[in-house]
Amino acid sequence: MGGRVNQQLARYVPALLLALLLLGPILALLVRWLSSSDDIPLLAFINAGTLLLVGKSLLLSCIVAVLASLMGTICGFLLYRLKFPFRGFYKILLLLPLLVPPYIFAVAWKDGFQWLFSNSTVINPELGMIIVHTLVLFPLAMLITGTALSQIHSGLEEAGLMRVSFRKMLVKIVLPLIRPALTISFLLILIISLSDFSVPAFFGVNNFTTEIFTQFSAFYNHQLAISQSFLLVILCLILLLSENRYLSDAPFFSVHVKGSSTKHYSVHKGKTILHILLWILLLVVLVLPLVMLLHQALSGREILFSRAWELLSPTIYQSAKLAFLGALLISAIGFWVAFMKERSHFPHLNTMLLLTFIIPSTVLGVAVIKFYNHPSTNFIYTSILILLITYVSRFGFIAARIIGNGIKQVPVSLDEVSRVIGIPPIKRFFSISIPLLLPAIFTAFVLSFVLCLGELGTTIMIYPPGTELMPVKIFTIGANAPLALTSSMTLISFGVTMIFILLFFLMGKLIFKRFRYE
Amino acid sequence: MKPFIINFILLAMIGLTSCTPSSDEVVVYCTVDQVFSEPILRDFEKETGIEVKAVFDTEETKSTGVMNRLIAEKDNAQCDLFWSGDPLRNVVLQSKGISTPYQSAQTDLIPGHFREKDYHWTGFSARARVLIYNKNQISSDSLPQSILDLTQPRFKGQFTIANPLFGTTTFHMAALSTVMGQAPAKQWMNDLKKNQVVIASSNGDVKKRVMNGDLAFGLTDTDDAFEAKKESSDVDYIFLDQQEGGMGTLIMPNALSMIKDSPNGENGKKLMDYLLSRETEAKLAISCAQMPLIKGTEVPDIVPSLDHIIPMKIDYSQSAEILEQIQAWLKKWVEE
Repeated sequence: MGGRVNQQLARYVPALLLALLLLGPILALLVRWLSSSDDIPLLAFINAGTLLLVGKSLLLSCIVAVLASLMGTICGFLLYRLKFPFRGFYKILLLLPLLVPPYIFAVAWKDGFQWLFSNSTVINPELGMIIVHTLVLFPLAMLITGTALSQIHSGLEEAGLMRVSFRKMLVKIVLPLIRPALTISFLLILIISLSDFSVPAFFGVNNFTTEIFTQFSAFYNHQLAISQSFLLVILCLILLLSENRYLSDAPFFSVHVKGSSTKHYSVHKGKTILHILLWILLLVVLVLPLVMLLHQALSGREILFSRAWELLSPTIYQSAKLAFLGALLISAIGFWVAFMKERSHFPHLNTMLLLTFIIPSTVLGVAVIKFYNHPSTNFIYTSILILLITYVSRFGFIAARIIGNGIKQVPVSLDEVSRVIGIPPIKRFFSISIPLLLPAIFTAFVLSFVLCLGELGTTIMIYPPGTELMPVKIFTIGANAPLALTSSMTLISFGVTMIFILLFFLMGKLIFKRFRYE
Repeated sequence: MKPFIINFILLAMIGLTSCTPSSDEVVVYCTVDQVFSEPILRDFEKETGIEVKAVFDTEETKSTGVMNRLIAEKDNAQCDLFWSGDPLRNVVLQSKGISTPYQSAQTDLIPGHFREKDYHWTGFSARARVLIYNKNQISSDSLPQSILDLTQPRFKGQFTIANPLFGTTTFHMAALSTVMGQAPAKQWMNDLKKNQVVIASSNGDVKKRVMNGDLAFGLTDTDDAFEAKKESSDVDYIFLDQQEGGMGTLIMPNALSMIKDSPNGENGKKLMDYLLSRETEAKLAISCAQMPLIKGTEVPDIVPSLDHIIPMKIDYSQSAEILEQIQAWLKKWVEE
């Protein structure tokens, strides 16, 4: 009896604590909004103008989601299902745009337009936003659809190919099988594009997120901005609920597809064309923006790399330390949440992380300040704990899904057998579960590290005074510094991120080798 | 078992990340460019031994971080001193009951109209609004001499201003409404639209577009103009409305406000005294060509003196009030 009570306590107390830490700020803000003493009716802000802006934002983001999903699916098929040299190399390079803040790409692309057309204003603002969002977000679709494509059993395709052409097999078998992945890619990209303000603001697109931002920053009208934000959240929730079953199981990507037998098609003819196409894509999504940044960095009256390094170097240790702690915490919580969902049939924490994942960053910032800025919680608010909590809110869902996908691939029978033969729980955990899941946990850690290292939207609102962080410094200094300095700082930041990724890649190779599961 | 391990990790991380607050510190929230403000704060640290903990933001990023943070922290202030690039934001804080009056001994040296009457904010080193132009696109003798000239057909589609909902351009439009009256100012802005003014995302964007030669000229601040001149020899700037009887150019001082119920109020006052000194004004003149408000402060030759500029005669608090009245109209103007 006592053991059962302890078990329940062990399950629910940490769950409640996590809910309090992550969901508390959002619920408190919601209550504050609903119980506002203003005489204005709660939904008075919804008028024809608002609906028009919402419609425009949805339309633009839908275009982005369709284009990015299409590009991502094609790339996913080429890189995950075809057999040709250097596909791993292409895969890694094409993922890099995901790791750079969209704002940086917007700056580079605007200068790219200037360089290509001798005038950056020739590109319509809406078109500029669509181009940048599509190029930055298509790797997400590539990851998701690529993973789904890797999980199709070869027998299904081979059976189809016995009767119909390759094209018909793709349409009739492969596409229906990856429909959930296509839906998830579309929805996630739609939501990310819908809630990003930096790129539309930079191009001067008047949409719903820039409207929310204007209410926050020009009018300081928190009440209206929060009302509008909740409308955005409700909109995202409606979209998500329609496909909740698939989304809560979003694969993102599997580190190691165990026990599957996927068919890989050899490329005999057209290998050169394939390489040319992939190089053109690489050129457009990665090389061109980086060359633009490099060109800007070197085109000033003086080379400012050493000045940029002088400014950024004090932030690197602090940012890396924080990103490391954040990634550690996110991986631990992600593991726990995924385990609760997949093995203990307790999906509520996963749903909670999904909810915090879709909250716009500025709203999350205000919610966190209002919730934690009290004398009793000053120890959280004035330390880096506030940033760690925010990182978990923003990226916990991604880590939980990566690890959850790993857990799904570990047969339950392994745990059951070890229990039957009497292996104690701790030993089971460290000798069976952890080694089998290490690649997934490690990948979740690396991705979380990179995301924490570049997070800006909420960090700029809550970072403790005196803390120097790389993305904040680039953003604040870059605003009015010479272009060459801003570009130099961006390139240094990109280089630092790449060095960390390389280090983790080397570490990962060792870990994966040690725990290889064949 | 696993939840216990997670609990252990959580507790260990709390231990790792919590820090002990020091009593000999001051917290400053700053919207002035970090490259210029940070060295001054470091000098203060060296001279007094008081640790400065700063949160930086910039007008170019719409000061969103700092202003929203100050508003959200109203009931449990964390900041001691707010250092703004213009007084408009300080007026907002005053109206929301976030700032508290403080009369520094240094205030006597600063002309009376550069501070709030109850000392909710006090100004120092100033910038001005100027017209920046690309010499390859327009000759200096063809330039407009008054801001009102921007509506002339010969300048159609050739110039830019930053989004008037944010930053110093907001202040500029509010100041024009104060001087000209709201109806004529609105008419002038509508005429700007008819003359195909390009609305840039920020003053930095104005600078960039003019430097690149996308447009012939634009309105920006002196610090942007100085940076542009450093970056390109194709760029120069002029002060508008300097003719006799002209309305003058807008002067925008930095502004300091003490925050109500702040945790390190005394240190905040010390920092405010330090920033209002002649030495700080001299440093800002050298680093970013800001014009000192204290007479007799030594400045490099390239820094214009306020003695030689005809200033726009405005009451800053009144301009802030007018801004509140015209802001919704400005939003419509931008969106139409």
